[in-house]
Amino acid sequence: MNSNIWVLMSADSVALATTLILAALGALFTERSGVLNLGIEGILLTSAITSFIAADSSGSIWLGLVVGSLLGAVLAGIHAVLAVTLRANQIVSGLALVIFGTGLANFLGKPYEGKNIETKILPLSFGPLTDIPVVGPVLFGQDPVTYFTIALAVGASWYLFRTRPGLELRATGDDPATVDAQGLKVSSIRIRYTLAGGAMVGLGGSWLMLAESAAWHQAATTNGIGWIALALVVFASWRPIRLIAGAILFGFTLQLPFTLQAENITFIPQAFLQMVPYAVTLISLIALSRPGSSNALGAPRALGTPFVRDER
Amino acid sequence: MNLPFRLAFEQRTETPRRLAVMVPLLSVLAAIVAGGIFLFATGYSPFETYSNMLSDGFFSSTGITDTLGLSTVLICTGIAAAFAFQMNLYNIGGEGQLYLGMIGGAWAGLFFGDRLPGFVMIPVVLLVGAACGALWIALPAFVRARLGTSEIVTTLLLTYIGASLVNHFIYRAGSYFRAPNTLFPQGRQVPDSAMLSPLGDTTMYPTFFLVTVLAVFLWWVVRRTEFGYRIQVISDSPRAARYAGISAQRTTVQVMMISGALSGLGGATLIVGTFGRLDPGIVLLGYGYAGIVIAALARNNMAAIIVSGILFAGLRTGGDKLQISTDTPIHIGVMLQGAILLFALGGEAFRRYRVKVVRMQTATAQGAAQ
Repeated sequence: MNSNIWVLMSADSVALATTLILAALGALFTERSGVLNLGIEGILLTSAITSFIAADSSGSIWLGLVVGSLLGAVLAGIHAVLAVTLRANQIVSGLALVIFGTGLANFLGKPYEGKNIETKILPLSFGPLTDIPVVGPVLFGQDPVTYFTIALAVGASWYLFRTRPGLELRATGDDPATVDAQGLKVSSIRIRYTLAGGAMVGLGGSWLMLAESAAWHQAATTNGIGWIALALVVFASWRPIRLIAGAILFGFTLQLPFTLQAENITFIPQAFLQMVPYAVTLISLIALSRPGSSNALGAPRALGTPFVRDER
Repeated sequence: MNLPFRLAFEQRTETPRRLAVMVPLLSVLAAIVAGGIFLFATGYSPFETYSNMLSDGFFSSTGITDTLGLSTVLICTGIAAAFAFQMNLYNIGGEGQLYLGMIGGAWAGLFFGDRLPGFVMIPVVLLVGAACGALWIALPAFVRARLGTSEIVTTLLLTYIGASLVNHFIYRAGSYFRAPNTLFPQGRQVPDSAMLSPLGDTTMYPTFFLVTVLAVFLWWVVRRTEFGYRIQVISDSPRAARYAGISAQRTTVQVMMISGALSGLGGATLIVGTFGRLDPGIVLLGYGYAGIVIAALARNNMAAIIVSGILFAGLRTGGDKLQISTDTPIHIGVMLQGAILLFALGGEAFRRYRVKVVRMQTATAQGAAQ
């Protein structure tokens, strides 16, 4: 019985990691282009409720995923216009998006409080493979979106470091002036990847809603996962493969309180268990910091600074 | 993206005074119009909603005092955010520092309550609250100064930890902060000596005047003192500051600690007024987050925060009463806050730049002619 719970917990950590990977991957692409989007938490929350509404009214969870992703791109679009086109302060713009998104999500979610979605996204079953002890449920008991996410992260790594557009993307985040001198449009590249990043975050929020929680709990639905995702990008040094490992670790800490509660391990107060994921994230962020510049970590050099070409 | 035109930005050397006033006003107006369209689209009446919000937030006798009462804590979190923002230090964990201020204030009230008279008690509660807020930002401040760790994420993560702490102190059986023998877990009321009485029959407390004076005082500190000058130099040009022998590290820690203390003070004002106890509901109210919007809308001007703080308190008060007066979800208030800030940010571009629409064809024609 005991070991079963721990196996389930490992499987759940991989599952929770799905939202983390998608949200962090979205942030990673956005940041690689030089745009800092702090609005992840707001996008996650709004896409979660819109995917719920879409799935609930159409009866199709897949349509829910599509609508949620599109909404993620739309919200990121607001940030793109402000941060890239109008050169607004990216930090404040991202925060405004969190506040706006939280209000919007709660407004839209009001009639759906306490309501459950009828069909969740279900895990696949590979027959005998899934029945293998320990390894089975963890590797072969996930749902299609989780497998897609892992493939997306691996693909992202190849795209970033092995393709021409990937090179252009990295260059835009590091040295926009050179990219501009090459005749490429910095603002167009930045807007495109901010939108694409938003869609990934939106998919993450939709999946969290339609596979994990399946009921709307206002802001508690995401409960800070967006912020953990932002820290995860730093943790992974802006590299997609490291992001998978980090997400599984953070997914594990997010899962911990529930498992220990199920195990009746009560000598640690519940409230302190709830702190674990945030504390782990905090400590790892500090541990990775070095005096001097953050560039040692691999942060895009032009991250958060608008590109201003000398205009005639 | 091949549009037939593109936007050209010319940096303004000087912002016309007219624009400095018009841009924030038009941003608020634009957000309200956009919100109205949204309300209409989702099947609510924008006119009814807004007229209710206006009358409940500003133009009724209880409305305006409720608004000023609420603005006390919002001005506090607003100046807290602005004080750090002005040095490009993005302390967005004011929310968590506010929780800690409330915990510290409640502890001081409960611990010293029956031993000290009121005129000593009130300052003690406020100071302990401020100290706890400062304590909650100490680690982010220190690692920001020493290691360059992003204060944005660290302060935010500590907010979630602070929220768990509030829950722990209220829901754990036998907790010091918990009222004994109540059916539903709630905070223990601080003794009367640790509480102020409201002004007449209102929800407004004298702390409103304290906070207003504090905002004006900080405005003076920023504009007129050596400390304020140091902050200005560091935020304008870190390199110049280094040559001038100004220690950015020390100022970073000082500024962040003051910012945290101000948020903590905001939490403690809720103990001496409004709540009188540690209330777990605080984690749902988002007063700390609202401070960020208030600071940004006032463009980190301490004195202007009094105005934007009252404006936002009115939006909240009017919004919170919506559910009673109409069936519109109260969250429209929070949504409008976010929308106002988004529009204000967009408007900022028109204040800083002369924006022109340039036809692409003429640009290429010129290029060909050359």
